[in-house]
Amino acid sequence: MKHSFALLILLTALSLSLHAEEEPADSIRRVSRKAATNSAEQTLDEVVVTGTQTYKWKADAPVLTRVISASDIEKTDATDVEELLSQEIPGAEFSYAMNQLKHLNLNGFGGQSILFLVDGERLSGETMDDVDFARLTMSNVQRVEIVKESGSALYGSNAAGGIINIITKEQTEPLRIDVDGRVAKHGESRFRGAVGTSNGSVSNTLNVERTARETYSVHNGESPAAQVYTTVFGNQKWNLNDKISFTPNEKFKITGHAGYYFQEVYRTIDTPERYRDFAASLRATWDITEKDNLVASYIFDQYDKSDFQRLTGYDIRDYSNVKNSFRTLYNHFRDDGDIFTAGAEYAYDYLLNTHLEGPSKNQYSCSSFAQYDWILSFKWEMLSALRFDYFSEGKNSQITPKISLRYQPQPELNLRMGYGRGFRAPALKEKYYLFDMEGIWIIKGNPQLKAELSHNFNVSADYKKGNYGITASAYYNKVQNKISTSIPHMLPNEGNQLFLEYINLDSYSVYGSEIMLQGHWENGFGTSLSYAYTHEQLPSDKEGNSISSPYIPARKHALMMRFDWEKQTSEKRKLRVTLNGRMLSSVKSAEYIDYYDISKGMRQVEYPAYMLWKLSACESFDDKFKLTLAVDNLLNYKPEYHYMNTPVTDGANVMIGCAFCFNKQR
Amino acid sequence: MTILTRKFAFLPAICKLGAKSLLAFTVAAMLVSCEGIFQNIYDNPPPETEEKAGRLLIDASSWNDWYYLDFKALDDSLKKDKRYNPSDAVVRISIPTEETQKSDNPDSQNADGIYVYWYDVYGAGISHNVFQQFIPTETQEEPSAWSVAFHRNNVRTNGASVFETEFTRMEDLPESSLSFADAPFVEDEWNETDVWVLREQMLNGIIGNQGIRTNRVLSNWLTVEIPPIPPAFSLNNHVFIVRLPEGTYAALQLENYQSEKGTKCVLTINYIYPY
Repeated sequence: MKHSFALLILLTALSLSLHAEEEPADSIRRVSRKAATNSAEQTLDEVVVTGTQTYKWKADAPVLTRVISASDIEKTDATDVEELLSQEIPGAEFSYAMNQLKHLNLNGFGGQSILFLVDGERLSGETMDDVDFARLTMSNVQRVEIVKESGSALYGSNAAGGIINIITKEQTEPLRIDVDGRVAKHGESRFRGAVGTSNGSVSNTLNVERTARETYSVHNGESPAAQVYTTVFGNQKWNLNDKISFTPNEKFKITGHAGYYFQEVYRTIDTPERYRDFAASLRATWDITEKDNLVASYIFDQYDKSDFQRLTGYDIRDYSNVKNSFRTLYNHFRDDGDIFTAGAEYAYDYLLNTHLEGPSKNQYSCSSFAQYDWILSFKWEMLSALRFDYFSEGKNSQITPKISLRYQPQPELNLRMGYGRGFRAPALKEKYYLFDMEGIWIIKGNPQLKAELSHNFNVSADYKKGNYGITASAYYNKVQNKISTSIPHMLPNEGNQLFLEYINLDSYSVYGSEIMLQGHWENGFGTSLSYAYTHEQLPSDKEGNSISSPYIPARKHALMMRFDWEKQTSEKRKLRVTLNGRMLSSVKSAEYIDYYDISKGMRQVEYPAYMLWKLSACESFDDKFKLTLAVDNLLNYKPEYHYMNTPVTDGANVMIGCAFCFNKQR
Repeated sequence: MTILTRKFAFLPAICKLGAKSLLAFTVAAMLVSCEGIFQNIYDNPPPETEEKAGRLLIDASSWNDWYYLDFKALDDSLKKDKRYNPSDAVVRISIPTEETQKSDNPDSQNADGIYVYWYDVYGAGISHNVFQQFIPTETQEEPSAWSVAFHRNNVRTNGASVFETEFTRMEDLPESSLSFADAPFVEDEWNETDVWVLREQMLNGIIGNQGIRTNRVLSNWLTVEIPPIPPAFSLNNHVFIVRLPEGTYAALQLENYQSEKGTKCVLTINYIYPY
């Protein structure tokens, strides 16, 4: 810790002296808010905000940021963030947790260490440790920014493994109407509608989406090596979002958002499980001067779970997480290109959970942070940030530093390196759970839990010339006090009842690398190839006992490929064909031979490799009508066993979709 | 130092501005409940399902007990006192689990004891199981008079037999039980795989079951499927006719199997006795 501060101070002093000697950098490096929100789509894909909380050209950002653009999202035809990341990010794997809720492993980090944001704001609620990915719809999304390094110095808890920021579209045309539908096997359906209006100073976008799937069975072979699923539960979901913006003058803007999400999962016919979210936010952006900008926001987010007892008609809530957050963010842009950013946050977190010891718990947190983006020269840039967080529960406070360096030896090449500390404050449930899990064991919280800490080191290089680009990155994470559940054990005076307590584990490491090649040609062909290597060390408890993780570890090798071809077939018709491939290596997971007698040791369970391809063709007429035909799982892969990390498929799936778009230009 | 001072000269004014903005937002947000909104879209049902003659509530969620009911005694009590609570007629008796003598296998067929089975809970499901071990125990205690007994999703009878009708409403039943006189009633039969008692090795798929006679037809009113985990319960709302040994009949229907808090195997039973 002391070393980290010393390094920070040393580099800061060094950069100051360098700064005094070098000539001022070009201020084109920064992007104004208006440019970042009102420009053409192609320009928007080149602007990033997540890594620094200020708009920067992607090529000039000191933090490597992967952008999935609106056109990429359209090519994948993804409904939600899970579908999107599964097709675009090689190190991202979604698997089933209990009740077929989804768990994400991104480069060795679980959902609790990957911070999901929508327009920069965090979400409430969790489903088996992860946010509910189904509520993160891809309707009206401008782009998704992915930062795979610790973001705790800017965003606080739960960002040790990276940040995924979903940025929604701004309505600029006077009127836009979008309607689309898609059907597939197992009664899968998706219907979406959006209406956007704008008169220059006031704009509004309303999105409605409904998806559904029937329950169906999948076949498994004899004697599976681990737990399998035999039924894929049906569900229906509703997503409604309205975003309104008011810009009374060039300097001031107010944006409001209201959202409602509902999902019903038919795990049993008698008692479907319901998930709801109510969200509202208000954000004011004020360009105080040409050089100063202030953002203040208030966010309300409530995530509920209930069981609908069909026999009695009762809808009984057993979980509610309510977050009220206030944020202010200030940016000062200097003539020499430097940017100073500072912010403060207050959040109140309320948790109602029938599994808690006591009906409900709450805590508040206060945070403040500062960041300085130093343009040292035309070739060097340094970003340093420091954040302080205080959590009332356990009076836990954290100081989180971060430093990043960017070196641009030539305009096409960027070399980056950085260090960031990450942390995750213990969740209320991890401190106060006390419940009998279906007679198997008692899950017991631990009020003495410490925050999970990590040290993230990363290096990357990206080169872009003309229509070709290559990005390579590597990272190393040392994780301390990881919060997990203990070895199953009995407690004195509790008979032969098994307990699973939350504990802090011993240090362990996660490291990996990624390479991505992209290119497109004048004849309409485009390609994207990416490969990720991940090594996730098996953690152990403080006594040195190996711990079987509640989730299957990351696969070592993952490869993604996308080939697309677009052609204007006539004056008004355009054809696009996309082929997506995903290959994941097998993975071994250490699991107890006997949960009731851990002295028998552990066994290695091997989960098989798999490969999935998706081919889609989209014909558009006058940019108003689109017809899409897609075959997911093109090679008709049928898993022999449906383990928790096996892709949810029982063979090829034909999808047919059509879309209508009306767009009135100003 | 001069450079630093110049660079951060704007800070004091900004701190004031930030504090004012935060205060304004805080005041505005106080209007919203910290504990959430729309709480009234959820239900807060009465603490207990209302009981009356013809409707019975039995918390049979315990893994270690049988709950015995004597229809005649219940009927007599209701005749004496119309406000009699039907569940007061239910008698709870524990399932014996203590080993009485060492034995690896049952000495005789259908011996009293715990039959330990391995179930393929993570694979093909609980219908795939393998016998592991027998633990002899005392015989299950019973009240001096009883008609039916309940243990989670299992039901047994005291020498009775059961027929499952196609009716799903008690009021649709024929007036007299004579209509079912020729129906194929089924008696209790030996069962050593369904009455789950010992769950200390549950995670390994190993469960200790009480070996005892149960009525498979009546037990079919509530079925449990594994996988998935947690188990999936499904209710069969058909009306069942019970032919008691003395020649009288009872009609039973499982209306619900969950408490208001969602606890499984809390049984709400509609009944007609004598039918």
